[in-house]
Amino acid sequence: MKVTVMNTAQIARKTWQLTFTGSFPYGEVQPGQFVMIRIGSGTEHVLRRPISIAAVKEDRLTIVFRVVGKGTQWLSERKPGDGLDVLGPLGKGYPLPHTGAGVLIVGGGIGVPPLYLLAERVRPLVQQLDLALGFQTAADSFWIDQFASLGNLVPAADDGSFGKKGTVIDAIKLLSEGRSPKSRPWDYVYACGPLPMLKAVKQHFAGHKVQGYVSLEERMACGVGACCGCVCQTADRTAAKRICADGPVFDWNEVAL
Amino acid sequence: MKKPDLSVEIAGLRLRSPVMPASGCFGFGREYANHYPLRLLGAVVTKAVTLKPRLGNPTPRVTETSAGMLNAIGLANPGVEHVVAHELPWLAKQDVPVIVNVAGETKDEYVEVVRIISQSGLAAAVELNVSCPNVKAGGITFGTDARILQDLVQTVRKVCTIPLFVKLSPNVTDIRQLALAAQAGGASGLTLINTMIGMQIDIQRRRPVLANKTGGLSGPAVKPVAVRMVYEVAKVVDIPVIGMGGICSGADAVEFIMAGASAVMVGTANFTNPRACPEITAEIEQFMIEQGINSIAEIRGCIA
Ligand SMILES: Cc1cc2nc3c(=O)[nH]c(=O)nc-3n(C[C@H](O)[C@H](O)[C@H](O)COP(=O)(O)OP(=O)(O)OC[C@H]3O[C@@H](n4cnc5c(N)ncnc54)[C@H](O)[C@@H]3O)c2cc1C
Ligand SMILES: Cc1cc2nc3c(=O)[nH]c(=O)nc-3n(C[C@H](O)[C@H](O)[C@H](O)COP(=O)(O)O)c2cc1C
Ligand code: FES
Repeated sequence: MKVTVMNTAQIARKTWQLTFTGSFPYGEVQPGQFVMIRIGSGTEHVLRRPISIAAVKEDRLTIVFRVVGKGTQWLSERKPGDGLDVLGPLGKGYPLPHTGAGVLIVGGGIGVPPLYLLAERVRPLVQQLDLALGFQTAADSFWIDQFASLGNLVPAADDGSFGKKGTVIDAIKLLSEGRSPKSRPWDYVYACGPLPMLKAVKQHFAGHKVQGYVSLEERMACGVGACCGCVCQTADRTAAKRICADGPVFDWNEVAL
Repeated sequence: MKKPDLSVEIAGLRLRSPVMPASGCFGFGREYANHYPLRLLGAVVTKAVTLKPRLGNPTPRVTETSAGMLNAIGLANPGVEHVVAHELPWLAKQDVPVIVNVAGETKDEYVEVVRIISQSGLAAAVELNVSCPNVKAGGITFGTDARILQDLVQTVRKVCTIPLFVKLSPNVTDIRQLALAAQAGGASGLTLINTMIGMQIDIQRRRPVLANKTGGLSGPAVKPVAVRMVYEVAKVVDIPVIGMGGICSGADAVEFIMAGASAVMVGTANFTNPRACPEITAEIEQFMIEQGINSIAEIRGCIA
């Protein structure tokens, strides 16, 4: 699909947001889904880059990305009015909680963006929404006010430069301690971030009666389930799941982390 | 002016278009059927099928390189039984010939898989993958030794009642020797090239990017090599040649046809653009109209 860049902005260290408009099935987007973006004409860069959908409103869609290589560098150089070739929405997103459920959302670093759309969709369904978001430093953090407006946010920074000093696990502990005895226990935990963080979160809730969902990442070629480039293994390690088509969001008991 | 004829006949197969997807870059067709009707293709070429299900290599399995990519998928596939029960029946309903890519680690495995595919009645042809660079046993050795290749093709030929294509590896000193061996073994046609073995290193982490260390290079970067090999092979064999390697446009496809290919396959370009195959077909047609060419045969192998 050919879309048009509306605006871009640098929002944190090496981190940009980009909003596009134009023909795209905005109404179909589920939180946790992603788009595959063509870089340049596609001859020099033959593989599209997978980027999560951070926000979607009527006829516009926003992504947030960190510049880590040539593709994301090119994306950060787009100007309003430039064309983009995007494929999507792709993959399976986060299943929404039942009405009145207790929900905890956990994000780390550049895994945080898709959790914004998730939080927006979860908010009207639940009484209380808790959010634990971790960043390396204050300079890497973004969209803090937006997240804070949707729920009870505890940010964390590894270096203590803002929020709770430490990891998202420390933020989760703080949230647990601060909960009033009347509030509903967490029924759902939704997480996105680096693999060690996902493991730690699952580990933290071992033995708890929560339904956990994680979003996984792998280098992709087709992005639609055809090439088997992006697989992970099922929890029993006997079969493969394609992250792009069977995920990127999985029940954390379903896959080997 | 009357519309040019894009249909081609290869080893007794009538294809509506000379453009088909390359094995491994199109799954079993389902994902791309969301983008266009598969009958717009000359044929569908499946992912490699082996006797038993294969999980494939550890990840990362794919990475981009300059104007290309490396892959080390490792022949991940659900196994021939599943493919015959669940993928081929669906494909058979798409009104397009199906070419099943077959891989194995031993001669017996190749024979068994080809027999099952051939007897299923659900495939139009078999493509023998003797050139996958990403599996340790078998695969590549069958594709690099002319004597072993000829013997394999001869044995498989006996159980194969449908056209048998042999897919050649570029990772050899003289591809013509392998082409002639496959022809002598009874191949109905040749497909080339498979990927070229390559490697990419992450200098920050001081380790290869791919978990398998090496992988197969494909995409525009390999096209000149592929065109040269198709040109060389088409000159020495009497059976039809299907060309591939970096085709992204109608102009790229025409290069292969002029070099001697009867048809082409498109791999990596499907990832860049899921509609690549029908768009390339349309571009070939446009070129033929502009140049007043009536049929593919008119320009096939026109390079002396
Ligand atoms: C489902 C999914 C959602 C993602 N969402 C986001 C997001 O919202 N924001 C964001 O900043 N990043 C996201 N990523 C990671 C992002 O795709 C990579 O950072 C990006 O592809 C790097 O491209 P590059 O050309 O800048 O880097 P290079 O390192 O030059 O890339 C070279 C190749 O490696 C691949 N690659 C490199 N790192 C990764 C990685 N971590 N994951 C997948 N492929 C990689 C690239 O696609 C490319 O093929 C997501 C990845 C996946 C799989
Ligand atoms: C991800 C990927 C998977 C592949 N899998 C197979 C395979 O299963 N069997 C096979 O014969 N070739 C396989 N190939 C090779 C392609 O069919 C083709 O020969 C090669 O990629 C060159 O064409 P291209 O440059 O258009 O991609 C694969 C290539 C890629 C990129
Ligand atoms: S990237 Fe091709 S199957 Fe996921």
